[in-house]
Amino acid sequence: LWRSRCRVLLSRPAAAPRARRGLAAGPEMHFGFQTVTEEERREKIYQVFENVAKKYDVMNDSMTLGIHRVWKDILVHKMNPCPGTLLLDVAGGTGDIAFRFINYVRSVRQRQLQRKLKHHQNLSWQEIFESYQNDKFNNSLGDSQVVVCDINREMLKVGKQKAQHLGYSEGLSWVLGNAEELPFDDDKFDVYTIAFGIRNVTRIDLALQEAYRVLKPGGRFLCLEFSHVSNPLLSRLYDLYSFQVIPVLGEVIAGDWRSYQYLVESIRQFPPQEELKAMIEDAGFFKVDYENLNFGIVAIHSGFKL
Amino acid sequence: QEQEQSSGSGSGSGSDSGSGPDSGSGSARPQPLEPSLLRFLVCPLSKRPLSRYEESTNELINEELGIAYPIIDGIPNMVPEAARRTHTKAPAEASEQP
Repeated sequence: LWRSRCRVLLSRPAAAPRARRGLAAGPEMHFGFQTVTEEERREKIYQVFENVAKKYDVMNDSMTLGIHRVWKDILVHKMNPCPGTLLLDVAGGTGDIAFRFINYVRSVRQRQLQRKLKHHQNLSWQEIFESYQNDKFNNSLGDSQVVVCDINREMLKVGKQKAQHLGYSEGLSWVLGNAEELPFDDDKFDVYTIAFGIRNVTRIDLALQEAYRVLKPGGRFLCLEFSHVSNPLLSRLYDLYSFQVIPVLGEVIAGDWRSYQYLVESIRQFPPQEELKAMIEDAGFFKVDYENLNFGIVAIHSGFKL
Repeated sequence: QEQEQSSGSGSGSGSDSGSGPDSGSGSARPQPLEPSLLRFLVCPLSKRPLSRYEESTNELINEELGIAYPIIDGIPNMVPEAARRTHTKAPAEASEQP
């Protein structure tokens, strides 16, 4: 039944391309394959994540067979943060990117300290003592910090609990905020990430403008998101998997077919790589580029504020 | 696997180093705000710095617009819809109780 419904909706000429760009061109917007008002879309999406929050991580592992972990690792490796970096992770609810960031700078910091120690082998005790006095980076993160911002309280709760459980406390803070209207000052952050979140933002253009605003000059924008597969055979297999398997998994694991139906539909409605690249450029970013992972199932877009 | 934390990983509170203004509060129930956050936070409406952290009500106040943002479970709720008006004369934004 839903398949015929989605074919009808997809063939609608005017609404589909406007809706795909994620702009509030009129009162109508897409929620997956449904057409709703802007306000309805926000509410529905909030409810989706409220429902799935507790099972979010489990579902990610089941749906992507654990591969989402690799995607997120690649994102942080691409970021290659050095100690002292200030990261804003938007729509970062359950903390996956934040924790990886902390791990990364901690290990970089450790290597830095080890190299310093090797240097110190030939110094006198007085010189070593003085170098510790002067060393401002007394903490294991080298003053790196990550602020996790999400609009959904339930997702943040899960994230905070995970942090406590895994022992993350230093350099990590949580804020409830809207990506379209960030509660942060201009020119503040070194890096802005949004992983699997921008698809759920109602006004993507506003979120990109806000990203530009809060980044320091020289700061980097990184977006990890489901994208479009151009290879026709792979595309068919991917569609099959998405529409036949994922909602069923959603029902079996999270007891929520509808939310995961929304998820796979929203991926189809999201702008493809080149279009998103153009939107990012429109917000003022330079050197905008993207990297396909797994043939375009996922893409990392990157841009710089100069 | 992350056991070598320098501060308070065993406790359940949201505060980090004990140097913030709210770390000494008596009641354990309202979780204190992460002090370093106040560096970055501004009012999402005006984009101007917040006037102060009000410990008694556990809110972040914006005196200019006469609104206050609640802090729940140590997480500041910085969406305009959640802001509460602190004065009787209304600023331009309508706001409602969370």
